Amino acid sequence: MIAKKVLLIGSFGVGKTSLVRRFVLNEFSENYISTIGVRISTKTVAIEDEEVKLMIWDVAGTSEEENVPKAYFLGSSAAMYVFDLSREETYLNLDKEIESIKNLSGLDEVIIVGNKRDLLSDDEIFEIRKIVPVTIDFITSAKENANVEGAFNLLTQQSLK
Amino acid sequence: MRETTVDNKKDNRFEILKELLLTDDRQKFESLRDQFLEKDKIRENINPVVDEKIDDLKANFPEHFGDQITESIKVQIRESQDEVVEALYPIMGKLVKKFIIAEITKLTESINQTINDKFSLTQILKRLFKGKRTDADDVLQEVFEPVIEEVFVIGEKTGLLIGSYSRGNIADKDMVSGMLTAIKSFAEDAFKKEGQDLEDIKFETFQLSMVNYNSIYIATATSGVITSEFKEELSDNLNTLAEKILRDRTYLNDEDKLNKLIEDILILD
Ligand SMILES: Nc1nc2c(ncn2[C@@H]2O[C@H](COP(=O)(O)OP(=O)(O)O)[C@@H](O)[C@H]2O)c(=O)[nH]1
Ligand SMILES: [Mg+2]
Repeated sequence: MIAKKVLLIGSFGVGKTSLVRRFVLNEFSENYISTIGVRISTKTVAIEDEEVKLMIWDVAGTSEEENVPKAYFLGSSAAMYVFDLSREETYLNLDKEIESIKNLSGLDEVIIVGNKRDLLSDDEIFEIRKIVPVTIDFITSAKENANVEGAFNLLTQQSLK
Repeated sequence: MRETTVDNKKDNRFEILKELLLTDDRQKFESLRDQFLEKDKIRENINPVVDEKIDDLKANFPEHFGDQITESIKVQIRESQDEVVEALYPIMGKLVKKFIIAEITKLTESINQTINDKFSLTQILKRLFKGKRTDADDVLQEVFEPVIEEVFVIGEKTGLLIGSYSRGNIADKDMVSGMLTAIKSFAEDAFKKEGQDLEDIKFETFQLSMVNYNSIYIATATSGVITSEFKEELSDNLNTLAEKILRDRTYLNDEDKLNKLIEDILILD
């Protein structure tokens, strides 16, 4: 079976860990996270006749990548950037953030996910799509389990490219 | 953080620990032995009845005194926890005191078990009269013997597991290898020592050592007290292993083949 390292990045509190929780239930203890700023979960996904073991690095830290060692980005096959639809400050500088992540990881593409869909109305979502400086790939709710599977499926597909 | 004193004092501390655990009893043994050795002298001066008693004492020493000696050692360990922590602290590194105390409870049990086994006491007398190694050496060696528990061969950048060996049963080795990479990267970043080998990280009760070899690194988790002798042998074996893997890259894509190589070189050797 092939194993792929994939990244989840985004500001504190946007719901990265909640999304991973939805997707997998296989986790390390909290202690390690606070010390080294990463949570690693694994999940085996069947896709296009292939089994892929995803090693999901849930990278904690602020948008300035404070305390996140650069080495964490190395060797990853795909990345998902998560922001909080209900908090403007988590998506205002999204274009710069994505550039920086592409540089650090060497990836050509980063999946953009707006989370906490359940906190907003359809109209508000429509407006946000216009403000956000990049194209949003998925709008999810970890709370209501909306689109979580879809977002991770795309992540898996990209990891195989 | 670097503590240059640790290594120099290590052996010394270990001596302290030994003293702590067993000195009193050793002294008792030694004086008893001296008495026995002077039996011939004694015999000249006292009557055969006493002589018989001495023979009985010698033959049945374990029955007469075994329990008391074992008990006295147990009590000593229990009562000197602080000193044991003191003695162990530099050896075990930067583990928190609280954790060590919890460990000592387990350690005490383990020592007690070994003591119970070793002090089945005809053995003690045998050894005393041979005048060779002390029982403290025997006991401590068994309790602290270094054992390779886990080996991980990991892709340097990805943190993905390429091959491994395990004595126990860790559920998800891939995740562990990822965590190890993260811990390593974090520590290197925190101490700005990129590219350097990183050794002696504590991971639960294991002592971790990680060595970089170009595109891979090899992590080993060892339990017990790592002696310089053990460390040298491990280091030699690790170099041999890395050389073989990097010379024949098919190992990187064949986990079973690599796992066998790891076992051959590091474990069965
Ligand atoms: N309403 C709502 N709350 C969410 C959602 N996802 C996460 N949260 C909450 O947001 C907070 C931060 O989530 P967490 O997963 O820890 O964010 P992280 O810092 O990015 O890992 C928690 O209180 C979550 O319960 C969501 O989809 N909807
Ligand atoms: Mg989190």
